[in-house]
Amino acid sequence: MSSPSPALCAAAAASCSTPLRVASPVVRFRRPAPVVSAARASASAAPAVSDDLVLRIAEQLEDSVAASSPLLDPLRSASALSLLSTRWPTRRSNEAYRFTDISYLRSLPISLPSQEAPAVAPPASPYASHIHFSDGVLTSSLGAHVSALADLPPGHVRDRAAAALAASAGFADKDLFYDFNAVGAKDVVVVHVPEGVSMADDPVHIMFSYSGCGDGSMIMSNPRVLVVAEKGAEVAIIEEHFGQEDGGCYWANPVMEIIVEEDAKVVHSYVQQQSFAAAHTKWTVVQQNTSSNYEFVEVSIGARLNRHNLHIQQLGPETNTQLSTFHFSAQNKQIHDLHSKLILDYPRGRSQQIHRLIASGTGNGVFDGNIKVNRYAQQTDAGQETKCLLLSSKALVNVKPNLQIIADDVKCTHGAAISGEHDPNAIYFLQARGIDAKTAADALNFAFGAHVINQIPFKPIEKKTLAHFKALLASSRQNDE
Amino acid sequence: MAPPLAAAAAAAAAAAVSSSSPLFSSSSSLPLPRRHLPPSSVSLRPRRRSTAAASSAAAAESAGRPLLEARDLVACVKENGQEILSGVNLTIREGEIHALMGQNGSGKSTLMKMELYFVSLYTVNLDQPRSNGVDLLFPPINVVLAGHPEYEVTGGTVLFKGENLIDMEPEERSLAGLFMSFQAPVEIPGVNNYDFLLMALNARREKKGLPALEPLQVYPIIEEKVNALNMNAEILNRAVNEGFSGGERKRNEILQLSVLGADLALLDEIDSGLDVDALEYVAKAVNGILTPNSSLMMITHYQRLLDLIKPSYVHIMEKGKIVKTGDRALANYIDESGYKAIATA
Repeated sequence: MSSPSPALCAAAAASCSTPLRVASPVVRFRRPAPVVSAARASASAAPAVSDDLVLRIAEQLEDSVAASSPLLDPLRSASALSLLSTRWPTRRSNEAYRFTDISYLRSLPISLPSQEAPAVAPPASPYASHIHFSDGVLTSSLGAHVSALADLPPGHVRDRAAAALAASAGFADKDLFYDFNAVGAKDVVVVHVPEGVSMADDPVHIMFSYSGCGDGSMIMSNPRVLVVAEKGAEVAIIEEHFGQEDGGCYWANPVMEIIVEEDAKVVHSYVQQQSFAAAHTKWTVVQQNTSSNYEFVEVSIGARLNRHNLHIQQLGPETNTQLSTFHFSAQNKQIHDLHSKLILDYPRGRSQQIHRLIASGTGNGVFDGNIKVNRYAQQTDAGQETKCLLLSSKALVNVKPNLQIIADDVKCTHGAAISGEHDPNAIYFLQARGIDAKTAADALNFAFGAHVINQIPFKPIEKKTLAHFKALLASSRQNDE
Repeated sequence: MAPPLAAAAAAAAAAAVSSSSPLFSSSSSLPLPRRHLPPSSVSLRPRRRSTAAASSAAAAESAGRPLLEARDLVACVKENGQEILSGVNLTIREGEIHALMGQNGSGKSTLMKMELYFVSLYTVNLDQPRSNGVDLLFPPINVVLAGHPEYEVTGGTVLFKGENLIDMEPEERSLAGLFMSFQAPVEIPGVNNYDFLLMALNARREKKGLPALEPLQVYPIIEEKVNALNMNAEILNRAVNEGFSGGERKRNEILQLSVLGADLALLDEIDSGLDVDALEYVAKAVNGILTPNSSLMMITHYQRLLDLIKPSYVHIMEKGKIVKTGDRALANYIDESGYKAIATA
């Protein structure tokens, strides 16, 4: 740990015949010269373990992060190691991407934001505790129990964060994008709520703003946040991702890690309204200890390509998990993908998941909702419900709700509905009050999303998001006409 | 004052015994006052009335512009062609209050083999389960008049304010001044009750060429109506009917009526699911919105509602037809003797 060894020359492409020996905590990506061309890499496809594109991006990321906190080293090296043997996922090769076309990510060259924090004023926040990332670079963090990892003084909190980050190195279900984030994260913001402290009414507002660089490349950013709610603590997190006014083409690859300790409660609201030229690949990794509560509301209405991996792991019995998500895919070939996974290993866990998706125009939606009720998770009460609304003949959704139940004394329900029209009784009810069928359908489309958006517990955010959704709905209807 | 009242009572008595005839509402010579009529002795022995007598009575009826005129209305369920209205004749004039009564279908099995039933008006909706032991009934005349897509008019005419109602879309019927309360109001998750009222109100204003109202402009008006119904203002912040109790739903229907107003309100079993106090608030609200130019038709099984909102006419339906028309005395008689007495009389 103390002395990072010189750069380890990781063999690229087809040349990995021997197992990689990586003794060093830090792996460096240096492709042997001459540089393997993209053409050759793809030609030598079959037995290849490494992927040229993956290595190229990893190398770029590594170069951009000259000085990062040593606390990140275990995570970085573990991810760097797995990147050496990770191939770029395709629809044919990777089940997790079977319905999600991520080719948009490789359509443009990747660039990385400059080292220094840009001199932009952080957007206004109605809350005292707020954090702002601009293109993945931390520009400000204010509030009690909020700090950048690098600024943490030695002591309990720093050790706690270090341990949590080191533990993330062993995250088994990670994918390429998680690893990219680990390698490319410049700094990490830590929200640490000490034992017994309640900040439920005073949310931590985390704003992620992004901009395109306008030179035909895609700026990639890898912000990372760690939230730890200690025993009995309560905290509300508002996570917002948005593009600058003029939109722009960029790639946001954020990771949010949340640890909910015994009897603690985390209320997490997540709003993604990126520019429609942006790619957004995101991980939310949650660990829930005994009797903890995690309530999550997601509203994803932006980005051209949106992939969200939501991963919740139970660490003790009697947890309570509530997930409500809404995705709206209306733009040209827009893709919204939610892969959620809830792993229950202990008894008496309760969970309720609601997924709502509207696809209109040529929009594309994907939902894979996995709930794993393992052997010791007896008396689990897990419910899952997904409803999709297809508003045009060219809209497409792929929905795969799935419960894997090994325990034998559980109550699990799931339901999936895909519909092209609303309940005729509801339409008729509105008509009977003088509202024409078209306006009635609009109102019900809005209500479909508002059902989830209304669960955001903070009024200003809820209102703003509702207004944004309403405007999008109106413009998508005009496009359809 | 005495002679007209006596005449009215006499006419009402005659009306109470009239059997099915083409013009039902035409039996009284004056629009009946809305207060309680002196009890009249009612003979329920069927007495043939000549068509001449009926038409002369019709000729005598001249006060009050007709709002709704149904002639030989035949309607059936679109899906299976089952006839649910078989030649209904009904005229509702401005300022009148009508009550439609009929026997309850006691469930689908009894419905099938019932030898005598008056449920034609009330076809049991076979798709819907019983809830709270109460049959979810579908009284088709209301929903036919309001244009429910599941029903189809196959014969006859219905004029509303002189215009053909059957050709109108449901929303056009509503905007023309027809209000139907739902027996089982629909839940609309995500649509805020207040937004819904505002949307419906603004649809009316748009029709009249008035500018749309802003949410805050309307709030005091709506709040007043909510208070009048003794409802919790919180009800405005909830989704339309979502998680409402049966009583809350009924009151919410009346709230919509009092906010939107109507020339003719069709109230379908608004008394079911309401306790005595709630029923009084509802009746008060309904009485409050009645004007000399507006009319009301209620569907009910119970006398109690008719004590609070006093009808000028009571119609009894059987097998898709109106078989008897009378005044409140007829309702009293049914309350005491049941529908069967009429059927066998």
